[in-house]
Amino acid sequence: QELSYENSKEYTIADIKVVGNTSFSEQTIITFSKLKKGDEILIPGEEISNAIKKLWKTNLFSDIEVYISKTEGDAAYLEIRLSDLPTLNELKIVGVKKGKQEALIKENKLQEGVKITENLITTTKNYIQNKNRKAGFLNTKVNINTIPVVDSLDNAKVNMVLTVDRGEKVKIDEINFEGNTVLSDKKLRKAMKNTKQKNIIRILKRSKYIEANFKEDLVSVIDKYKENGYRDARIISDTLIKKNAKTISLNIKVEEGDKYTFGDIEFIGNTVYTDDYLRRKLRIEKGDTYNGVLLEKRIADNTSPDADDITNLYQDHGYLFSTINPVEVSADENVIDMEIRISEGKPTYFNKISVVGNEKTNDHVIYREIRTRPGELYSKSNVVRTVRELSQLGFFDAEQIDPQFKNANPDEGTIDIEYGVVESGSSQIELQGGYGGGGFIGTLGLSFNNFSLKDIFKKDAYRPIPTGDGQKLALRLQASRFYQTYSFQFTEPWMGGKKPVQFSTSLSHTKQFLYDATTGNADKDRRFNITGLTLGLAKRLSVPDDYFTLSQALSFQHYDLKNYNTGLFTFGDGSSNNLAYTIGLSRNNTFNDPVFPTGGSNFSITAKLSLPYSLFNGTDYEALAEERDANEALYADTTNDSDVRAAASNRISEIDQERFKWLEFYKIKFKGDWYTKLVDKFVFKSSLELGYLGAYNQDRGVIPFERFFLGGDGLGTYSLDGREAIALRGYPNQALSDNDGGTIFNKFSLELRYPITLKQSAKIYALGFLEGGASYNSFKDYNPFNLKRSAGLGVRIFMPAFGLLGIDFGHGFDPLPGGTVKNGWETHFIIGQQF
Amino acid sequence: CNEYQKALKSEDIAAKYKVGEELYNAGKFSKANRLFEQIIPQYRGKPQAERLMFLNADASYQTGEFYVAGYHFERFVSAYPKSSKREEATFKAAKSYYQLSPVYSKDQEDTYTALEKLQNFINVYPESTDVTEANALVKELSFKLEKKAFETAKQYNRISDYKASISAIDNFIIDFPGSSLREEALYIKFDSAYQLAVRSVEFKKKARLEAAEAYYNAFKKAYASSTFLEDATTKYEDTLEQLEQYNTKS
Repeated sequence: QELSYENSKEYTIADIKVVGNTSFSEQTIITFSKLKKGDEILIPGEEISNAIKKLWKTNLFSDIEVYISKTEGDAAYLEIRLSDLPTLNELKIVGVKKGKQEALIKENKLQEGVKITENLITTTKNYIQNKNRKAGFLNTKVNINTIPVVDSLDNAKVNMVLTVDRGEKVKIDEINFEGNTVLSDKKLRKAMKNTKQKNIIRILKRSKYIEANFKEDLVSVIDKYKENGYRDARIISDTLIKKNAKTISLNIKVEEGDKYTFGDIEFIGNTVYTDDYLRRKLRIEKGDTYNGVLLEKRIADNTSPDADDITNLYQDHGYLFSTINPVEVSADENVIDMEIRISEGKPTYFNKISVVGNEKTNDHVIYREIRTRPGELYSKSNVVRTVRELSQLGFFDAEQIDPQFKNANPDEGTIDIEYGVVESGSSQIELQGGYGGGGFIGTLGLSFNNFSLKDIFKKDAYRPIPTGDGQKLALRLQASRFYQTYSFQFTEPWMGGKKPVQFSTSLSHTKQFLYDATTGNADKDRRFNITGLTLGLAKRLSVPDDYFTLSQALSFQHYDLKNYNTGLFTFGDGSSNNLAYTIGLSRNNTFNDPVFPTGGSNFSITAKLSLPYSLFNGTDYEALAEERDANEALYADTTNDSDVRAAASNRISEIDQERFKWLEFYKIKFKGDWYTKLVDKFVFKSSLELGYLGAYNQDRGVIPFERFFLGGDGLGTYSLDGREAIALRGYPNQALSDNDGGTIFNKFSLELRYPITLKQSAKIYALGFLEGGASYNSFKDYNPFNLKRSAGLGVRIFMPAFGLLGIDFGHGFDPLPGGTVKNGWETHFIIGQQF
Repeated sequence: CNEYQKALKSEDIAAKYKVGEELYNAGKFSKANRLFEQIIPQYRGKPQAERLMFLNADASYQTGEFYVAGYHFERFVSAYPKSSKREEATFKAAKSYYQLSPVYSKDQEDTYTALEKLQNFINVYPESTDVTEANALVKELSFKLEKKAFETAKQYNRISDYKASISAIDNFIIDFPGSSLREEALYIKFDSAYQLAVRSVEFKKKARLEAAEAYYNAFKKAYASSTFLEDATTKYEDTLEQLEQYNTKS
């Protein structure tokens, strides 16, 4: 019976019945429908349609209908008719690779037993179509067939056959433009970043048609026009024409409109900066081609947080609450007059500066490094720099330093900052056993990077060691059969807590025994001791900029030889003293993470000098040099009597003992690293390292100490004689210098790094390198182009408890000194040191 | 093999409970807790559990594991709201956080938690015999926060950032008006202003000297017998002397 809504009538539900092919109980369905026996409802009316909707929503039924089977006065007898949706029995997929079927089933939830709804079929179809289109299969056809299973049970089951025909990969044969006169087709095609014509040469960006990308690219085309002053340009139409199964062409019709130029640009509301100054920042002149994109960028560049734009100009000088709005005031005759409306707001000052999360480090260590101070004008760049410098302390997780702005108060012009930090383990314990230098080497190293000296007598502070004052304390013991080294170092970064003057001191003692060829053991009677003491001061400078550090150090080493004859020293008994002054200037503005810098540079130049003893000690070194030469000649002449030769040899020793009693030398070194962020997370590091060791008095000669040893991993196994191991991968350790070491070296290195993970627990990055270097004995031999070259790959792992570990595989392309074949592959293990 | 070892390996939870309680009473809290932790799951929901949980929490407190103790006491309080030990547990939970509060120069999150818990205890049990102690602890913790703010402000003076020092002292005085450190704070404020003035560029110097003069007067008025007064007065006299030049010049 036909009922219209106008004459709907109130009934009481007398009874509800469920009919149809369903496996659900009558009661369940009635409950779902929210209709209840005894309810008074309007028929026709909302309740009935809601009931149908509710049942549909369950996604379990199809063909849902509600009828009145009969009425008795005000009592209505309802009947719900429905049938269960078929469930999926078996799925067959045709045209999709085995490996990809599972993902497809999972993504679309096509497991056995799922209810087959229209919606499911449509979404599955769309999913497959979109996925393939994105891969360039524009003509993908998807067909889904369901076949009811002939089954004895009531609930219907269906088998599904999913056929996918991807067809050929469709490429864009050509992109045609119509209506363009000022910009060529080629230029416009170039503006389209993701939709490209097919081209065999282009490998990285394949030609394919993806609708979403195409729409984006159309916007880029318009942007291109806008950049050139055509701000009315628009796309009138775009058409896709299927040429054949494999190719399509795209026709784009544009309307260019008129070219606009900038007219008068007025600044309104600026009191801090003059119009002139702002205009220079804007770098847009009257008469310039109108370019909305550029204008936006010069006012507020959203792509880079520290861009050189007007917003940052205000932000960096305290105007945190400033807003800048460019407004077009007139566009007569295609000349656009602009007003740049500036609301400067009050200058904002930092009010409260606080730090939270410093569970180990004491406040004073952190606050002194913070560049945003109470009462100071707000500066965004100082916040950025503080974050960078706090991370460089090495006490906190660099990724988690979080400056939170609080209590921003535009009326008072104040803002608080709370720096959130997370402590990271900054102490290292090194316990190492290794095989090298002809025997077992054991190392015990303790290095505490955030030590507290004043707390060492406080029992409570030991958890497990006193920390929190930012001091560094390192102890190191190393021993093998042939040598022992003990060293102690202490560094206080702010001497007296008043000025950033770093005080450091180190003490070391080394004992070296001669190798006894007959027993293969250490000969304890023949030894070489070195005792050293160094005191250093390093001051952070504020001129030329405050990334500079000036350091000075006074060092003293005492060498004591007892019957220790090797090629290195021409005297076996005696002593040498090395009193030197080192001055160095360094600049480090590498950012973020000290383990994995992503930008900035780090360089240092140092000079280490001894006193020019030969100027005032009255020794005639020229005569000594001559006498030495004469004795050398005597010794070298094997026809001479053995007594004469022995006397000559003794005299040489005596002369050398005289020459090296107090070491006289100067040494100059330069080291620079530059970090550049490339695409993605790649970081490019280039470095340059140079060194020169010279003598004031040529007759006295260049000392056999303090020399450079190039090659290998650069790990100094022991600094026997002030020697410096310079890494050059792809060659054995120290193999590229003479036995006595070089006096000049240079090294160039290029490294490409990629971070695999930069988590706090472990930072891992991979690297590839190209490097070259050489060491020479005098300027006569020096040739910066005659390098030992190498290339290779490696990986580094930094864990807070272990420091940096790594392995490099380097291939040396050049022969070792004296060799003729290239050196080939070398494996280097890196511990605690960076290249 | 002593009784403790036997109980540790025993399957009899009643025996473990008994030995554990004996150990607790004898002051062997660490051993007691090892036994308690073994049997707590089995006793869950039984009448003995109330006492067991309290002993477990208290043993943790006694062994210095305040973090665990605080957690256990708070769980006890919420699980047995009618317990006769509730008041003691509430207080000891708060005291556990008090124990966790570090030296003033480190992160004070635990201090804030402890203050909140102690205040809560005082509000809920104002008649408790422990309130006197709780108040003393609150005072001690509050002073820690005062000291932190004060030392931070003082450090700016030490590293010669006098402007920052003045601002930070002003904030300190607003935040802790009745502080016992106020005397030194006012002195440092004057000192910072004085140092700033004498190092100042010429055109700002006069105004800064005058500011220093005013700060001195405020300091002297408030603390006429201060130990810092002598030093302050020397600097003040220098301030006046330097101001004199401006007065004669003009």
